[in-house]
Amino acid sequence: MTATTDPWIGELAQQHLDAAYNLGRWLLGNEQDASDAVHDAYVRAARSAHTYAGGNARAWWLAIVRNCCLAKLALRKRETHLRAVDNEPSVADVEQRAETDQRRAQVAEQLRALPVEFREALVLREIEDLSYREIADVLNVPIGTVMSRLSRGRAMLQRAFADAPEKTA
Amino acid sequence: MNCETTLPLLEAYLDNELDRAEAREVEAHLDTCEACRTALGKLDDVRRALRDNALKYSAPSDLRERIAATRFDTEHARRPRWLGYAAACALAFFAGGVSMQLWNSPQHERVAHDVFASHWRALAATSPIDVVSSDRHTVKPWFAGKVAQTPAVQDFADHGFALYGGRIDYVGETRVPVLVYKHGQHVIDVFVLPSGTSLSSMTDQGYRLDTVDLGGQPAAIVSDMDAAETAKLRDLLKGS
Repeated sequence: MTATTDPWIGELAQQHLDAAYNLGRWLLGNEQDASDAVHDAYVRAARSAHTYAGGNARAWWLAIVRNCCLAKLALRKRETHLRAVDNEPSVADVEQRAETDQRRAQVAEQLRALPVEFREALVLREIEDLSYREIADVLNVPIGTVMSRLSRGRAMLQRAFADAPEKTA
Repeated sequence: MNCETTLPLLEAYLDNELDRAEAREVEAHLDTCEACRTALGKLDDVRRALRDNALKYSAPSDLRERIAATRFDTEHARRPRWLGYAAACALAFFAGGVSMQLWNSPQHERVAHDVFASHWRALAATSPIDVVSSDRHTVKPWFAGKVAQTPAVQDFADHGFALYGGRIDYVGETRVPVLVYKHGQHVIDVFVLPSGTSLSSMTDQGYRLDTVDLGGQPAAIVSDMDAAETAKLRDLLKGS
């Protein structure tokens, strides 16, 4: 950090960098795009630091990260007309991390197969452990919408688990 | 509670978003109902599948370095001092405790944490109250026997603060009565605290906590109203 870098935004970004990257990774599906989106978000956050009106700083930061991811996703969809998550070698990547952990790869695949609005709600709740209020702030939707998306997302995963019992049991 | 009323609450229960009274009711039903226990178990399976399988990606070190190396011009580099407070506040909160920029006392800390947490839980719950009534003669007796001291209950509907009901919540180990008022779209909790509780006014994440003396008993007003509206209610409560 130098004197010309906003120390507050830098600290906030570093503090919640894993959460930001994890969200980006689940929305965009690969390391390069997730890293680029988080970096974009950092630049945007630093430029709009003066608009931060108090409240939950982590939710504010993750909301910016999410917007940058969605912008990238929209751009990619226009370019390829393919769903972002379908053409990524992420399962192999996860498998490698887990050293041939079949179960882990399968859960990752099932989560990745969910529509983005359910996937992001589940990632923020179950992996990042955000409260309903924080998720509502990140997604910019009412708490009731957060609850119904979590509920539907969980039901979809339950069905996916049930359809593949030999691996997920 | 039966299955019909429990099932819609199971996820909020799992997510720790129910107020304590509702959570206790759900638990009481779960004790007697295997079907609902199974449903909860299935929800928990999803959670464990996602959490236990280490699906959390960590930021690559080159991203961390890239961000540390990014420079900006000075225009936005200056931050107002309150932003520092807000950041410290948020970080303290995420580290496990509610922000305490104004004091250090453990009691302050716990009481403030508990009343904010209780207020947010109540807002997220299907209903922020256990007894619905705009009639103080219904609310006051409802508290009797449930808490050590039944609070004075006043309705200020004439002044725009309608009594909406009451509930019981915990501050530390103590069960305390909570009077719930409505002012426009605002839901206001008035926690009647045990004598001798010390607490200071503060704000957290856009919510405001103000203290008031309620006929000799300390109380905390918690809501998302602005300072002027809160002061209005505080004056009404003081005068009652």
